[in-house]
Amino acid sequence: MAKPLVRLRVVEIGIGIALLALVLRAAQVQLVEGRRYAAAAKAQRTERVILDARRGTLYDRHGLGLALTQETYHVGIAPNELRDPSRDVGTIARQLRLAPRDVEHALHRRYAWFAGPFTPPEVQPLRALRGIHLEPVLRRFYPSADFARAVIGRVGDDGRGGGSGGGGLERLLDSLLAGTAGSAVVLKDREGREYESPARVIAEPVAGSDVVLTLDAELQEIAQRALDDAIDNMQADGGDVVMLDPRAGEILAVASRRADGSMRPSAFTETFEPGSLAKIFAAAALIRFDRVRPGERVSGEGGRYRLADRVVTDEHPLPSLTLADAIRVSSNIALVKFAARLDPDEQYGVLRAFGFGAPTGVDFPAESPGRLRPPREWSRPSSASLAIGYELAVTPIQLAAAYGAIANDGVLLEPTLIREVRDPRGALLYRHHAEPVRRVVSPQVAAKLRALLRGVVDPGGTGERAALANFQLAAKTGTARRVVGGRYAAGQYTASFAALFPADAPQLVVVMKIDNPQKGSYFAAQTAAPVTRSMLEQALAARTVALDRARLSNVAPTTDRPPLDEPDGVVPYVVQWPYVPDTAAAQPDRVVPNVTGRPLREAARTLHRRGFRVVVKGWGVVHHTWPAAGDSAAAGTTVTVFAELPPSSAPTPARP
Amino acid sequence: MWEGRLLAVVTAVLVVFGLAAVYGASSLVTTAGGQVGASFALRQAVGAGVGGLLAVVFARTDYHRWRRWAWPLLGVTGLLLLIPLLPFTHPITPTINGARRWVNLGVLTLQPSELAKFAVVVWCAMLAAKKGEQVRDFQKGVLPFVVILVPVIGLIFLEPHLSMALLIALLAGSVMFTAGARIGHFLALGVAAGPLLFGAVATAQYRLARVLTFLNPGAAPAEATWQVQQSLTGIGAGQLLGAGFGQGQQKLGYLPYAYSDFIFSTIGEEWGFVGVVAIALLFGTFVWLGFRIARHAPDLFGQLLATGISVMVGLSVVLHIGVSLAVIPATGVTLPFMSYGRSSLIVALAATGVLASVGRARKA
Repeated sequence: MAKPLVRLRVVEIGIGIALLALVLRAAQVQLVEGRRYAAAAKAQRTERVILDARRGTLYDRHGLGLALTQETYHVGIAPNELRDPSRDVGTIARQLRLAPRDVEHALHRRYAWFAGPFTPPEVQPLRALRGIHLEPVLRRFYPSADFARAVIGRVGDDGRGGGSGGGGLERLLDSLLAGTAGSAVVLKDREGREYESPARVIAEPVAGSDVVLTLDAELQEIAQRALDDAIDNMQADGGDVVMLDPRAGEILAVASRRADGSMRPSAFTETFEPGSLAKIFAAAALIRFDRVRPGERVSGEGGRYRLADRVVTDEHPLPSLTLADAIRVSSNIALVKFAARLDPDEQYGVLRAFGFGAPTGVDFPAESPGRLRPPREWSRPSSASLAIGYELAVTPIQLAAAYGAIANDGVLLEPTLIREVRDPRGALLYRHHAEPVRRVVSPQVAAKLRALLRGVVDPGGTGERAALANFQLAAKTGTARRVVGGRYAAGQYTASFAALFPADAPQLVVVMKIDNPQKGSYFAAQTAAPVTRSMLEQALAARTVALDRARLSNVAPTTDRPPLDEPDGVVPYVVQWPYVPDTAAAQPDRVVPNVTGRPLREAARTLHRRGFRVVVKGWGVVHHTWPAAGDSAAAGTTVTVFAELPPSSAPTPARP
Repeated sequence: MWEGRLLAVVTAVLVVFGLAAVYGASSLVTTAGGQVGASFALRQAVGAGVGGLLAVVFARTDYHRWRRWAWPLLGVTGLLLLIPLLPFTHPITPTINGARRWVNLGVLTLQPSELAKFAVVVWCAMLAAKKGEQVRDFQKGVLPFVVILVPVIGLIFLEPHLSMALLIALLAGSVMFTAGARIGHFLALGVAAGPLLFGAVATAQYRLARVLTFLNPGAAPAEATWQVQQSLTGIGAGQLLGAGFGQGQQKLGYLPYAYSDFIFSTIGEEWGFVGVVAIALLFGTFVWLGFRIARHAPDLFGQLLATGISVMVGLSVVLHIGVSLAVIPATGVTLPFMSYGRSSLIVALAATGVLASVGRARKA
């Protein structure tokens, strides 16, 4: 038995050594390398989840949402988890507005998925159903698709300002709007299922700031509508409208459109030769440097004036002209003659001071600086060309800012699109104040320039205060030949119009430009001018537009005057204001038209035409009005239009 | 007599510890399956009750009876092992994970290979004791073992359950070695079995993958490294004191069979190195007591029986922990007393009872 005992001991020791070796191995794994394994274990079973921050809202100046972020949902359905598939199919199809057949078909798959996105009210009744899995996704929503689209831009495919498709203010303001994404750590199992309960939020998402734009929704609507009509009626290639508050430099409306309906922010990015619109700046230099005595006249030369290397012509020559006449009838010859008295540095300096040849500093990406050559690059005719608005490339925004300086007593302001920035809790982070760039001319010079623009001011000034119906406009038309492919194209013109409203103490600068009008006259007086007048009339009829009516009432009104219909002249258009003060005799009641189901734009136009003021609630098509259609109401009564999104624009189940 | 009592205490501690570990490791699995979270642990507790009862009965039974029961026991085991291999027995021997290792006998589902461990130990002890000095002779001593055991081990191999087949071969070898068989004979048998073993590994893809994983963890296919890597990660993450009972998270689907084949990994994660040392000490004590009983057994049969049972427990422990720590290629060996699986638990407890009865009969 001795031998078995030895062998017994061998086996026993063998097992003992094996156990000891395993304990040592465990010590190595747990004590020496434990930290590494613990990190690996944590890494594999936890997942950092990005918590999206809500993107800030873009508002118009009155608080109307222009670009909003909404929580929407993708809907996933696990057919095997449904309690009562036959009944649930109906509920799902009804709530998601899908064809029941499609839903039924989708349920044959292991997991049905509808991208939507669906809105909270749509998915609310589905929350109670078992087997429905909602996947929240923040979606950028533009209540009115075409509203200032070129300016507002769109979020890109990264859901922010970047990526492809992004642009405009959405891109420029991205750092403000985006907010800060939060993150959380969740436990997950090998299948990737996340266990919500031990989730640990590392950082709460911080919503982006809201930005209040300077745009006025109603003016913007008016501008877009007028531009659309003008381009269609005149068969033009495109056009731009800019409306600016000259006292604050705030851009109230900016519309740009091409004939094919595309919108790019050409008011900021594309230049043109302003032609006669720039004559006022030559006049500014002449007055500022006192090169023209009051009442001084130059000969009209019978409409043809020979310079050393070319001939300047006028369509409707006058025998002799003062500077005021020159501006009023837009005489090329007189301007060229007067401008010859200016030193090139003076002429250049004033144009430069009005902001030409440099970006205005408006907060919009890729603004064009235009083109204004310094005197050392000039050729001999440059001085004459600049005096009548050639050899100079400007953007509509630059023109609006420069005319704004004339309106604003000679101080050039930096135009802006941003009025306020508010943090997610509503605290004000930034408020725009007028930002003077420089004083271009003295207030006296500015007043003289306005007088020039107003044309022959009525000497008598009959001043029937009670009428308060008509306002004079200080304005200038411009019809310039278009440069296509580096040379002037035959028969192609840019019709442009700049207006200060009202002529005294202007509250609004309007610059309109129509590219290559084909149908009817190409002269601005017959194209851009009437459109601008129409826009102003609508603006006055609209209640919410930011015009200071108290100050308007102090402006000397004018009597009706037949509009001068001179090509390229000053156009003392008289604007009719349908507003009737309470003290006026009661107007006969009129019937509120039925605008139900019509687009807002059309409805507002119809109501304005009938003499009602319009307040809009909501977006989309008109649902009903108050007072209701068919009711009688006095002219000037405010009609509230309640609009809803039409059912056809409800989200479709296509993938986003 | 104190060996027997200490043995009972150690065993009881291991079983209770095991129940807790099974509960912790399986609750999530069973909850996800829609069952009561504790169902694995409850079933295991039933097994522990039955096994404990058997252990008490066997402890009070004279171990010499096993001499007579050895042949019938091996016969019954052989029959049970044969059932899964028959083509018409599918209803009672379901295929689980590609192998048919369980037999459904109506009242209980049995894993015959677990029973085979014990049956082979008893039978080898019986035959070796009967042969006495003849064990040293190849023809009269070793050959009878080979003739009987090769079919039995072959049946287990065909289930297929290679690791259990190897374990049982090692068990038989240990008993024969202790009984005095020549080392040269073992070498000869090893040389003969080598090509067979190589063929078995090379023909089954999952075995090859596991072996490759073991030999070169970096180059092996991702799925093959998964289990072992997760087991190591879990144990390592336990560090010194562990994550705490029930706090281990490898069982969230990362570690397959956290409640059976990889229960040691769960223990390592939840109880840390302290728990690992405790487990090693408990099993070490068990094996030490087993060999102590063997040394003091009144006759050769008792000695070999006690040795076989001790080796059975000790070797299973070493293999199981070795796999968990990536020291041995991945196999499906359970941790005695602790892993989920009633067959394994009942057999281990019954064997402990037999061991105790040998201890009771120690020579004065």
